[in-house]
Amino acid sequence: MAGSSQKWRLISPFFIILTLHCIAIVFFTRGFLLTRTELPNFSQCSDTSQSPCSNPNTNTTDTRCWTKPTVDRLVIIVLDALRFDFVAPSTFFDEKRPWMDKLKVLQKLASDEPSSARIFKAIADPPTTSLQRLKMVRNGKRVMMVGDDTWVQLFPDHFEKSFPFPSFNVKDLDTVDDGCIQHLFPSLYMADWDVLIAHFLGVDHAGHIFGVDSSPMIDKLEQYNVILEKVTEILKNQSGPGGLHENTLLLVMGDHGQTINGDHGGGTAEEVETSIFAMSTKIRSRPFSSELDMSCKFDTDGKEICVSSVQQLDFAVTMAALLGIPFPFGSIGRVNPDLYALSAGSRNQPVSVSTECKEWSNFEEWGSDYANVLCINSWQVKKYIDVYSASSIIGFPSEDLLHVENMYAQAQVNWSNTVQNCFLSENENCNTSFTGLRDQINAYSNFLASVAELARSKWTEFDLPMMYVGLGIMILSLFVHLVVIIRANKFCQISYPYSGYPEISLRLTSAIFLVAIRGCSFLSNSYILTEGKVASFLLGTTGILSLRYSFIRKKMLIEAFGFLLLNSILRLITTIELSKQSLGFMFTSIFPVKMLGIDRSHPVWLFIPEIIPLLLVPYLLYKSIVGNPCWRVLKYFFLAGTVISYMLIMFYLALESNVLAVPPMVEDVERNFVPRIIYAIGFGQVVLLTFVQFFEKAENTLHITENITIKTMLMLSAWSPTIIVLLGGQGSFIALASIVGGWCVIRLGISEEKTWDITVRVPNTDPLPIAQWSLFAICLFFYTGHWCAFDGLRYSAAFIGFDEFNLIRQAILLSIDTFGVSHILPILGLPFLVVFQYLSCQGGKGKEILHVKLSQTLLMSLLSIFSFSGIPDLRTHYFRDDYIHSIPDLRTHYFRDDYIHSNMCHNTKTSFDGMGAICSKIRFRCGWPSTHG
Amino acid sequence: MGTTNINNNVAVSVSDAFRVHLISVLGLASAIWIAHNIYTINLTTHPIQALRLILVFETPILISLYSCLGRNREQCSYLVAVGRGMLGLLAGAVFMVLGAVTLGAPVGIQYMKKTIYWSLLMSSFTFVPTSCVFGSSWMDWQRLFANTKPIGVVDYMICIPAHGAVIGAWLGAWPMPLDWERPWQEWPVCVSYGALAGYLVGVFASWGVLLVFGKRENHFKGD
Repeated sequence: MAGSSQKWRLISPFFIILTLHCIAIVFFTRGFLLTRTELPNFSQCSDTSQSPCSNPNTNTTDTRCWTKPTVDRLVIIVLDALRFDFVAPSTFFDEKRPWMDKLKVLQKLASDEPSSARIFKAIADPPTTSLQRLKMVRNGKRVMMVGDDTWVQLFPDHFEKSFPFPSFNVKDLDTVDDGCIQHLFPSLYMADWDVLIAHFLGVDHAGHIFGVDSSPMIDKLEQYNVILEKVTEILKNQSGPGGLHENTLLLVMGDHGQTINGDHGGGTAEEVETSIFAMSTKIRSRPFSSELDMSCKFDTDGKEICVSSVQQLDFAVTMAALLGIPFPFGSIGRVNPDLYALSAGSRNQPVSVSTECKEWSNFEEWGSDYANVLCINSWQVKKYIDVYSASSIIGFPSEDLLHVENMYAQAQVNWSNTVQNCFLSENENCNTSFTGLRDQINAYSNFLASVAELARSKWTEFDLPMMYVGLGIMILSLFVHLVVIIRANKFCQISYPYSGYPEISLRLTSAIFLVAIRGCSFLSNSYILTEGKVASFLLGTTGILSLRYSFIRKKMLIEAFGFLLLNSILRLITTIELSKQSLGFMFTSIFPVKMLGIDRSHPVWLFIPEIIPLLLVPYLLYKSIVGNPCWRVLKYFFLAGTVISYMLIMFYLALESNVLAVPPMVEDVERNFVPRIIYAIGFGQVVLLTFVQFFEKAENTLHITENITIKTMLMLSAWSPTIIVLLGGQGSFIALASIVGGWCVIRLGISEEKTWDITVRVPNTDPLPIAQWSLFAICLFFYTGHWCAFDGLRYSAAFIGFDEFNLIRQAILLSIDTFGVSHILPILGLPFLVVFQYLSCQGGKGKEILHVKLSQTLLMSLLSIFSFSGIPDLRTHYFRDDYIHSIPDLRTHYFRDDYIHSNMCHNTKTSFDGMGAICSKIRFRCGWPSTHG
Repeated sequence: MGTTNINNNVAVSVSDAFRVHLISVLGLASAIWIAHNIYTINLTTHPIQALRLILVFETPILISLYSCLGRNREQCSYLVAVGRGMLGLLAGAVFMVLGAVTLGAPVGIQYMKKTIYWSLLMSSFTFVPTSCVFGSSWMDWQRLFANTKPIGVVDYMICIPAHGAVIGAWLGAWPMPLDWERPWQEWPVCVSYGALAGYLVGVFASWGVLLVFGKRENHFKGD
């Protein structure tokens, strides 16, 4: 049949483009996602026999594993998202902020007992998502865990005892913390564990919801201060000889920091700088200190307090060294001298040494221990590097490896000399052994530092050839777009030989110019960061151009003004909303009342404006259905579904804003139940629509316009309730804005066409409305509070209707929220651009749909090409440091979503294009016969 | 009405246009010179003061010059033209503020003064000459700014520099998002620089166009 083969000729390009895009994305992400091969090996106690390190001073070789255990028990209290300035005294910072100096007890301990307690600035590696990376839980010790249930999900059978609490409900500030408190204190009196981990989430959640400068945050910090005071009290009371906590190390640490508005995941100083407070219960003489990274200042009470700095990378290996368990196989960290010194200071006072030698001897004892630990540390890292290079496909460059190996060999030669110097000629020459030890420690430290440096640089490299292949395929797809468009134009001219050659107008050039500018802007990472602003600038420019044309044509003035006005209103509101992101508290102090219904102080007043836009969509649907000859029965069915959905949305918003007085029990059920019904109705409608499409036999050639209109309308009304619910309080406003904006774009498009080509009956495809449409869609993405970064995801949206976490379900909801208003709705609504434009001329509609679709995909894929090439620049911002630590633990839920999102933000736009192309197939079918006949 | 404007514009010769442009450029240059050498300020360090200085010099010059060019001299006096210029300055400033906000100019109390001075400057490059010459004649405004079809010397004199200033300001906004953290990237410094540069380019372009135009006119006269 000629018709079907013709039809296939028009549809097939979409499949080709979709395939090309998919392949390109696969290649690109392969090169972009970092590849560190994870090795299955684990360190064993017995491994150490192969190491060249030994400690001739120790006789108790039978009890030790790798290193001599220097602490018996370890209490780790993890406070999620603990900023450095939560712990360090405010004198360390330029100005005192309300949230500083709240954990007084830690500061007091650090200043009163500098030999046993200290505050560290811990520098995490981005992405700063939760850590869950203490590999030592695998090794022999009895570990007890309280708090965040992610730990148990990651290491299901590593805990002796665990009391997990659900952590993913961000709205809940207290459940996890209360559970922690309930189990933490009794456990401190028990002897059935060696390592106790308590993970508090309150600060993280408070930051996510209220920001750092908020009273819930300060309440949380004050609560923690009380808890920590109690914990240290208990530990100290039990620290006598023979007590439970005779030799216990308490660590209070954050896994990452957070920005002022509570986000984390990126690589800014605020996010990577967290804090570790360490306190040993055993009283020691003042330990040796490297004094390299230490800064001392007077705190608010005038006492001196010192802060050292530690890399989070070094944390696991230091803990392993302290506990005397095998070092994690895949670790490339270095045992941190300050942290190690804190609990491994001189154990006994030196007995008989001359006074000038006393200090040396004090150092020597610690120094030889530390040198030995570093020896084992270096050996373990060397072994890991060797195994890694042997097994990994993309290893390290051989010259770098050689350099590192030389350093290791050098240090090892030193070691044997030092061992002889130091331990055979004891007490003879303090100076030689002192310098010998110091050199030794430096040699090992340098080796470890250069390995870490090497790994950092190599594991963060992108696989550029892969990325170029992906990019090349993308450019190829662009050519396919062009070819298809030219072919469609030709096809047009065959059917309608009267059509003139498409005139290159100012509108065409300005549209191409704007899109090209937007594409070029992706080459710079500054523009990627301000993508929303740039898009809004370009949209404003198209609006002004439209206004100018309206003046020329003396038509559609209201639409042009309305569009500009809408654009500025949206922009202003976003500025106020995003001030939480950028200007932060400065703005909130000026405008304490948030816009868009976040503030619930006057629920009824805010509720009414929310309702009005919701009445509009069903009304529009009704208007388009009534008098439409297509689909006589089915359309009323859809109408009913949509009306029910919108009524449920109103009910849900009423529940959320506490307008209705519903008993709390019922309310909790309803809050989950109502969104689920809305999702179900939407899903059912989409499925039914597709089903009907496939089984629609008799194509009504008389009412093509009506047919397309009703199908588009039904599709949009099937999707919109879900998207509005997911957008939350701003949903209805955004829905109104999209309708008004879309309507303006369509009307402004019409104003041109009628004056051009109505006589010729083959309208030119005007690219300006298409560019405007896609720019408006991009702006909506940013106006709805999204941005292309780790923290640009609206996690709370994934939990509308559900309390518990399920990866696939929540990921679907999250992606509908992220791309709903910016990609799904605009792409599904595209047929309107064509239908309304060519209402008068029934002729080339099928072709025009194809045409518009293709131009749209062309524009979008042009953008994505540029964003592809721009992404390497992204690394300078987001991925400045490395993934060394976090790659092995990719399994974390937080991390997965974040990671995929930030890389795919632009890429997914492209794949949505592809989806748009597929969807267009459905539209296209109804428009087709007219071009043929 | 619109059909008569060609006849009215004959009064302004090409050499008049040269003189007007020369004076306005000299006014601009002297304002910048005074700012640099007497007050030792510039747009980057003291945007508000520098913009005010330029305004104080340039706006009176433009208003007085273009009021002389006003058509229908017999119907409306020089003073009326000056008054129209003042009104045009204010109306244009409001228009420019709205445009700037639509395109993304920062809104806030700390930016208000800067935005107002910038919009006054933009208005004196675009709205002031037009309103001095054409008053509220919608047809002329539409011809100049919507259709961009200037006819005659005065039209070219007004239209090209005004478009130059607007396009220059638009292009001047492009360095703003860059992370160079230079003081001139602030609003409205680089936009003002862009507008000034665009205006100057526009003035020179209109000189060039008028040269061609003048030659052709002479040619026609010779015929």
